[in-house]
Amino acid sequence: MRLFVARNAFALTVGTITMVFLGLFFLRPVLKVFDASVLDASGSSFTASNYVNILSNRFFMTGFANSLTIAAAAAVSSVLVGVPFAFCLARLPIGGKAALVALAALPLVLPSFVGAYALVLLLGRAGVLTGLLQSIGIPFDSIYGAKGITVVYALTLYPYVVLPVTAAFKLVDASVEEAAQNLGSSRARVLRTVTLPLVLPSILAGALLVFIEALENFGVPFVLAEDQTILSVEAYKLFVGETTDNPAAAGVLGVLLVGCAAAALLVQRLILSRHHYATGPRRSATVLRVSPVLRRLGATYCWIVVGAAIVPFAVVVVISFMQFHGPVLHVGWSIDNFTQLFQRSYRPLTNTLLLATLAACGSMLIGVPIGYVVARHRSRVSALIDVVATLPFAVAGTVLGIGLVMVYSSGFLILTGTWAIMVLAYMVRKLPFSVRSAGAILQQIDPSLEEASINLGVPPALTFWRITMPLMLGGIAGGFVLTFVTVASELSATIVLYSGPWTTMTVAMFQALEGTSPGIAAAAATVLIICTLVPLALVYRLLLRHELSML
Amino acid sequence: MARLTIDGVARTFSDVRAVDDVSIGVGEGEFFTLLGPSGCGKTTLLRMVAGFCELDSGRILLGEQRIDTLPPHQRNTGMVFQNYAVFPHLTVGDNVAYGLRARKVRSEEIRERVARALKLVQLEGYAARRPHQLSGGQLQRVAIARAVIIEPHVLLLDEPLSNLDAKLRVEMRGEIRRLQKLLGITVLYVTHDQEEALAVSDRIAVMRAGRIEQIATPRAIYEQPATPFVAGFIGTTNLLEGSLGRRDGDLAEIAFAGTVIRVNYAQGRPGDAIVVSLRPEALRLLAPGEAILPGWATLTGTLGEVEYLGPVTRCVVALADGAQLHVMALAPPAISGAATLAFDPRRVVVMGAPS
Repeated sequence: MRLFVARNAFALTVGTITMVFLGLFFLRPVLKVFDASVLDASGSSFTASNYVNILSNRFFMTGFANSLTIAAAAAVSSVLVGVPFAFCLARLPIGGKAALVALAALPLVLPSFVGAYALVLLLGRAGVLTGLLQSIGIPFDSIYGAKGITVVYALTLYPYVVLPVTAAFKLVDASVEEAAQNLGSSRARVLRTVTLPLVLPSILAGALLVFIEALENFGVPFVLAEDQTILSVEAYKLFVGETTDNPAAAGVLGVLLVGCAAAALLVQRLILSRHHYATGPRRSATVLRVSPVLRRLGATYCWIVVGAAIVPFAVVVVISFMQFHGPVLHVGWSIDNFTQLFQRSYRPLTNTLLLATLAACGSMLIGVPIGYVVARHRSRVSALIDVVATLPFAVAGTVLGIGLVMVYSSGFLILTGTWAIMVLAYMVRKLPFSVRSAGAILQQIDPSLEEASINLGVPPALTFWRITMPLMLGGIAGGFVLTFVTVASELSATIVLYSGPWTTMTVAMFQALEGTSPGIAAAAATVLIICTLVPLALVYRLLLRHELSML
Repeated sequence: MARLTIDGVARTFSDVRAVDDVSIGVGEGEFFTLLGPSGCGKTTLLRMVAGFCELDSGRILLGEQRIDTLPPHQRNTGMVFQNYAVFPHLTVGDNVAYGLRARKVRSEEIRERVARALKLVQLEGYAARRPHQLSGGQLQRVAIARAVIIEPHVLLLDEPLSNLDAKLRVEMRGEIRRLQKLLGITVLYVTHDQEEALAVSDRIAVMRAGRIEQIATPRAIYEQPATPFVAGFIGTTNLLEGSLGRRDGDLAEIAFAGTVIRVNYAQGRPGDAIVVSLRPEALRLLAPGEAILPGWATLTGTLGEVEYLGPVTRCVVALADGAQLHVMALAPPAISGAATLAFDPRRVVVMGAPS
């Protein structure tokens, strides 16, 4: 009986801390945004006029339509790129799979707006390739607007489809496919009638993640949208107020964004919860024997996709070491761009490193216990925690930032303008990830190991310390680094929350983009890429073991 | 080492009675097996003794001490898990020493006892190895060494052999039995494999749907099953319905499959429905002209399927009422068509029909 009480007490404690943390720094800000959207100018009485104003405004409704269309297009193109990729990876005998998987996952942790900026450097108005293409007479359309944004999303978000779908392709029971062949289906028919339906839930789930990410992304449309209106950008502009700030209108846009993302997240969870094909004894799927032509075709396709996603980042790095005169690029190497970037101060870099470290520590401290409760205690409390901890995923960074500023600019706890509010925002945003990664690690640790230790006379708390923690350590270190690098390249909440002394690398790059110093922007992008790649390289082996189960 | 008493223990999961009022007494140094199909509650019962499953009611005692109220780490029950649960981040030596360290044993003594325990399970010189370098059978030995080194009051084994291949399984069960006799340790053993249970146990409790069907020695379980379920679960048998006739003291007339025999059966009243169990090896398919042994009874039917299995041949004989009897013969039958089966009435087991 005591054991039972103790276990539940732990779950309840973790549950309470989760609820307080999310209540203060997630729910309250989001509700505040909602409040702002339904209150009149005096802030005291309920009104629907904000919604009427926005919904009858052609400008914003176009933005709404643009956002949804682009997010949907991003999801569809990610599926079109990602599913064949996943199939090649899982079922074709192509070489260098480990490298392919690592490279395919890379865009998830690289800052996507850097990818967007690379596209501008290459194919923008003053782009390196633009002139070249035009000079040899290839008609070239503008990369600005919906088309360019969708391309960048497809190339940076397709791993969200590749990773789960590859796993799903591998999980298809080989004997099910053999049964279909035995019953007279050709290989193509087996793929269409058996294999694809079995992996469909994973495809849909991945596509919805792409949809959500694309909907809330701030940096990519900021770089590429030009005159197109995009919700996440407009919400930011309304709130920061280029002319006058307008929290009510920003609130309405925020609620629209959160509503769409939440709906998509709900559908995604529904699909995954019904995904119960994987039962019974199985034989893992076989690698298909195909003709050399097909094999080479598959390998070529994979490397082209990986290359298209990675090369822009490499180009930015190269360009950052070249000379700019104003906006015009010259051939010639120099480190002027970096000198200029750090001319005033190194603070953006140290801020980024410091804030990302703090946020990663905080995320692990709060995420690991939650992940433990969710994975190990099957109860109503843990089910509730599981759902609540996923919610921050549906809230765009800009919206969360706006809400945090609204709540913590006055009252007993004033955080606006401090580093703490940024770290808290990062912790909230990364919570679904840290909870899921901790849960994934725990799923690889059999509960009987803990029971064996207790059985041998070590009390539960000490068992957690001696057995569970050491076994989780590799996974936690991997999760820590992944959180660190994604926080380092976070822009959408940062842009709302930062204050002068707490300028980060992403903000520095953002400011360089706003001005006309492409050299500094490229240098900042390079620094960001290094901040991402170096930690990843350090824990590459750990990640190889755990990464797929985490993302 | 102590006597283990499980007294009126019950546990319900949502609406399933996983363990339903079970009472068992395991003697000091006894090898006691819980046997039953999956889902019968045997593992739940074992985990209750270890402390990983709460009791709704009942008590568990080790000697005179009540243990079901103790937290699991204070019970001193060595458990061997189905998947071994060898700590992957510790060496073999550290795994085995784990329980001793928890008991604050001096390090020289730990070293000495670990060496002795590893020798006991034939893993001398493996102390520095990592678990991932070991085979399944070796991991199993580490798990056993780790459990017995703490000198537990009772050793709990949860289907310890189910992850091994058939040959190794036979070898390991012999070794577990040898170790148990050597150490004189009390063992509670869970398995769904009847052959394994018969081979190693002093006594067996056959469980079904959370209840005990029968507790007896392996021989008694096989030869005198208490219920049709036990008769059917242990080995193969022919179960036939019949009825009780006149009785003369303990001797009762049993009518089944068109024949009447007289057997020792002290329960029931004339007219009661009963079930008889006739093992395939107790039936003899008569060759043409073969005489019936004195005192034996016969059944007649038609020979059906014949399966030649090497050492034995399995035949099916259909009786007039449609019942199919399995018969184990040492050689393929020399007849076809009409067949006569002879049997010694003393090898017939009579059981009350399940209500």
